[in-house]
Amino acid sequence: MRRSLRFWRRSIGARIIVLFLGLLLVVQLASFAALRARFAEHARQALPTRLVEGERLLQNLLDRNAQRVTDGARLLAADYGFREALASNDGETIVSVLANHGARIGATEVALLSTDFKLRSTTAPHPADLAAVAGQLAVPAADAGRASTIALLAGRPYQSVLVPVKAPLVVGWVLMAFPLDAQLVGDMRNLSGIDLTVLSRTRTDRPWNVALTSLEGARAASLARDGWAGGTPAAGLTTAAALGEELGVRAIALGGARDGAEVLALVSLSVDDAVRLPADLQLALVAINLVAIVVFALGSVVTARRVTTPLRGLADAAERLGAGDYETPMQGQQRDDELGELSQSFERMRISIAENQEQILRLAYWDSLTGLPNRARFRDAVHEAIAKAGEGRTVALLMLNLDRFKHVNDVLGMRIGDKALMAIADRLTRAVARDGGLVARLSGDEFGILLRDGDVSSALSVARSVEQAMDAPLTLEDHHVDVGAGIGIACWPVHADSADALLVRTEMALVAAKRRTDGPLVYDPAIDVTSAQTLTLMTELRHAIDRHELRLYLQPKLALDDRRVLGAEALVRWQHPERGLVPPYQFIPFAEQTGFIRTLTQWVFEEAARHWQALAEEGLALQLSVNLSTRDLLDVELPQKFAALLARHHVPANAFCLEITESAVMDDPQRALVTLDALSAMGFKLSIDDFGTGYSSLSYLKRLPVDELKIDQSFVRNMHADPDDAMIVRSTIDLAHNLGILVVAEGVETATAWTMLRELRCDHAQGFHMGRPMPVADFIAWTVAWGVHPQGVEFDAARTLH
Amino acid sequence: MPARLLAAFAAAVLAGGVGAAQAAAVAVLVTDAGGEPLNDAVVTLEPAAGKVPVKPMAGVEIAQHHLAFDPAVTVVTVGTPVAFPNQDTVRHHVYSFSPAKTFQLKLYAGKPHDPVVFDKAGVAVLGCNIHDQMLAWVVVVDTPWFARSAAGGRARLDAVPPGAYQLRVWHPSLPEGVAPPAVPVTVGAADLEQRVKLPGAAK
Repeated sequence: MRRSLRFWRRSIGARIIVLFLGLLLVVQLASFAALRARFAEHARQALPTRLVEGERLLQNLLDRNAQRVTDGARLLAADYGFREALASNDGETIVSVLANHGARIGATEVALLSTDFKLRSTTAPHPADLAAVAGQLAVPAADAGRASTIALLAGRPYQSVLVPVKAPLVVGWVLMAFPLDAQLVGDMRNLSGIDLTVLSRTRTDRPWNVALTSLEGARAASLARDGWAGGTPAAGLTTAAALGEELGVRAIALGGARDGAEVLALVSLSVDDAVRLPADLQLALVAINLVAIVVFALGSVVTARRVTTPLRGLADAAERLGAGDYETPMQGQQRDDELGELSQSFERMRISIAENQEQILRLAYWDSLTGLPNRARFRDAVHEAIAKAGEGRTVALLMLNLDRFKHVNDVLGMRIGDKALMAIADRLTRAVARDGGLVARLSGDEFGILLRDGDVSSALSVARSVEQAMDAPLTLEDHHVDVGAGIGIACWPVHADSADALLVRTEMALVAAKRRTDGPLVYDPAIDVTSAQTLTLMTELRHAIDRHELRLYLQPKLALDDRRVLGAEALVRWQHPERGLVPPYQFIPFAEQTGFIRTLTQWVFEEAARHWQALAEEGLALQLSVNLSTRDLLDVELPQKFAALLARHHVPANAFCLEITESAVMDDPQRALVTLDALSAMGFKLSIDDFGTGYSSLSYLKRLPVDELKIDQSFVRNMHADPDDAMIVRSTIDLAHNLGILVVAEGVETATAWTMLRELRCDHAQGFHMGRPMPVADFIAWTVAWGVHPQGVEFDAARTLH
Repeated sequence: MPARLLAAFAAAVLAGGVGAAQAAAVAVLVTDAGGEPLNDAVVTLEPAAGKVPVKPMAGVEIAQHHLAFDPAVTVVTVGTPVAFPNQDTVRHHVYSFSPAKTFQLKLYAGKPHDPVVFDKAGVAVLGCNIHDQMLAWVVVVDTPWFARSAAGGRARLDAVPPGAYQLRVWHPSLPEGVAPPAVPVTVGAADLEQRVKLPGAAK
């Protein structure tokens, strides 16, 4: 029930069908009821007429009957032999002729009357009754030459006729009587469907006797019990109840009453039968209605289909739209009706949504400036590539971040910056086109390259192509812009097991590459603080201090002019019990990321202070350089900590040079400046490390309390080969000297470099050419071997905290 | 008709022969009860003194013409033979059950061989067994004085010798078996004018 109700609510088709059939049934029932009522009314109205017609028919039948009998009697009367017998008054012959002719036509009562209607001879067993009938018919017969009536003979109704015998004048009369028989009521019933009942009684005060009837005997008897005094008026209708059935009745008096003897004919119709629809008509109606129901059912099913099929199609289409399929055109647009309009509207909506969707997708997945896929699209592409990569296939990812792009934007403006990005995008696209890589712009100055079937070597090859593409400076509206980029590389599945991890790790490699500024960098778990290896490393590093696994190394720093050893850069090395000496790039970056670098800085400074004392006792008065990280700079308590440390070891502040990278200062120049001012005030020497890799402006540099610049080793190393680098080195030296700042060259690995630097009037030098970073004991030994002892270096005792 | 005239003439000659110049004519007007004149009424005078012998008439015919007897009423003396020529194209079956003369001429065409001799006084009603509507009367009289009323109800009996007579008038419409009323008349030398009203008759 509930299901069908739900079906009803949910299906327009079902409703149409039920509505159609329901309306049809209502119409059918209404028309059937109306028809029946009208028919009944009509039948009831027609009942008296029908009964009158029945009466007429009865009269007709009786007349014909009388005529037949009359004809029979006439035949007898005209029979020559009979007349001869009559003329000769031959009694026996007469009787035999009467019997013979009576038998011929079925008359049971035949009599010959004299001209004065006296019975002369007869075959009848009831001569008295016959004589009475003769008396009754005498007058009309004498008048009309013949007469007929229905009379009772022995209590039964007879059709009696009287005809003259002429020879050739009337010489007598023949009386013939036929009993009214079942033939009459049968004919009546067959010809008109009207029932006939003939009642008779010998005296008015006697009850009626049923002589003949086509009704059931009991019903006729019931009818006979009514009074029936006299006939019915011409158009009247008497109704009588007979055994519970209502009958319409007309009563007709037959024959003249004689001595109170009466014959009454009742023509009757069952009112119920008359008003009932005839069975064949009912059958026809039922058949028509059934056909109509079938036709309507089929019609409504077809109609419902015609409505619901397109609706279902539209619903499916809407589902498809909802599911994101905007490609399939709508069905049923060619229809001319409302559904066609709806389909057309849906089609317009589909096209509009598809366009919107395309626009959204473009916005969502494409970078509007460069026309390259954006980060989201790139991410999806990486997902797809990994999902589709088969067994044994790899996916390589490159990310590159433009160097100094912020600078370009700041100096040349956003418009040029945008053009630069477009040009770079174009170069990248062309550079990787050969390898089938996908280039995407991930953020402002960051691009990604997806190599769907790439591995580390192919990625490195692509990275080289990219670097080559970046070699030529961009020319933008008369501006020449040098571009370079840090490139990070990671591969699936060797470096990451999922697309997202691959993206993250490629980015880590990029960050590391940017920091290292040493060309493309392939992901290594060491650069990843989140890698299991790094986590282990981190734990171990924490313990390294307690377990005294860290070692202080010193790299000599010399005066270029006289090769004097001026000082040394204090560097940390980790002597791992299992791994051996861990290179600094394996733990310094994540120490920076995790903040552990501050502990390391403290440790280095502490060690440096301690060794300074030891060296001093050896007669080596050297200035030791200690590296500060960004995090150290941002630590507002750093000056106090350092002051406490100096006090603890009784060392002067000016015995130490604090090296800060250019980028560390640039991260938060305000706070850095505060810290640096404080440190400078305390007497520390300050040095800008890795100068040239950052973007610090010289005007800004001037404001810093800096004593020394360290030119980044990348310039120094290429100086002899690259005139640009040489130029940078020279400019930096000149600039620094103009500002009254000493210049230290790092990465001096050859005698050529040494010579060049000295010619460029660089102040100090540091590098493998002179000495690698080495344990303190080795350093002391090296100093002895170097031979040029530090001399004349005085540390401001007043500023030490003895 | 010429035959009847001849017969009347013969009777007159006969009467004249008997009574010479004394004979007179009797004119009778026959009417019905309402006074309407009746034709085809047969008027006879029977001498009160007793019957007078009559001679059979000759050449009397009752033709069947147009499905009717012609004439419908014929008066003949006793012993007169009557022929029944059939002038129709159909056959007839002429019969009479009357006591005056019972006979039948079974289906015939044209003239039957033998005439029917009416040898007894009385009225014979003739019918045709095939055509019920054909009806004729032959009145057979045994008196020489008789006449049949023409249109206007008039009958004239000539050469009636003076004397006492019973005047009888018969008409087909009189009920059968009813004797025609007799009126006593006395014929003198002069012509006699007589009116007879038939109560039971009708035109």
